[in-house]
Amino acid sequence: MQVNLFDLATKQSQWLSVRQSAIAGNIANVNTPGFHALEVEPFDKVLDGTRVAIKATQVSHLSGDAGPEPVSIRERADGPAVLPSKNNVVLENELMDAGEVRRAFELNAGIVKAFNRMTMLVSKG
Amino acid sequence: MDALSTALKVAASGLTAQSERLRVVSENLANAQSTGPTPGSDPYQRKTISFAAELDHPNGPAFVEIAAVGRDDTAFPTEYQPGNEAANDAGYVKMPNVNVLIEMADMREANRSYQANLQVIKQARELISMTIDLMRNQS
Repeated sequence: MQVNLFDLATKQSQWLSVRQSAIAGNIANVNTPGFHALEVEPFDKVLDGTRVAIKATQVSHLSGDAGPEPVSIRERADGPAVLPSKNNVVLENELMDAGEVRRAFELNAGIVKAFNRMTMLVSKG
Repeated sequence: MDALSTALKVAASGLTAQSERLRVVSENLANAQSTGPTPGSDPYQRKTISFAAELDHPNGPAFVEIAAVGRDDTAFPTEYQPGNEAANDAGYVKMPNVNVLIEMADMREANRSYQANLQVIKQARELISMTIDLMRNQS
């Protein structure tokens, strides 16, 4: 049971880190002409596990994605770009998203901490 | 690579780009009155800067890089200053095509974008330290 929860928490914190790096890319490119904002696929899609990944059966195999990153990033399908530069990054929305990531990450870390304490309490007696 | 340290690097590339932009703005402002060296010659030409997203991998992080530092080709305004050493035969001096208001607006925008990137760095650091805190205080 706990193992499952820790696994879930790991997955979510990975997803949140990828999301944070997508937000960082959007904010860094806020003045880049023609740049389209990137977004991360929703967490329930990640949990579905519907994505097919190639399994590495030998140590020398290279994984298709860099590292243990089971989350895909895609271009945000937004309305028409309002700026003449065809850049659809809205700084305010990105900062809101960043705040959301922070809150979710804090909650995640708090839950993991509490569960770890409980596990330790049980195992140490 | 760890996604959070990637976020730090992406934001750092944003900081570099925006500070380079601020440098161009300061060059333009500093040379807003720089006339040419010889009679009738061209004065300082306003510099422009543009950015491009650097995607090495479709799923990879979107770093930002400086695409080009170019020159503004708009016409130079002329002023009647017969005493100036850059004045032509009729007494007119070509002034730089720098509009101080535009430069100020550009400076503000660079400032805001720099702030946003700093905010990202701050937040990524907080997330990392929250994760490290999981290992702390466990006697």
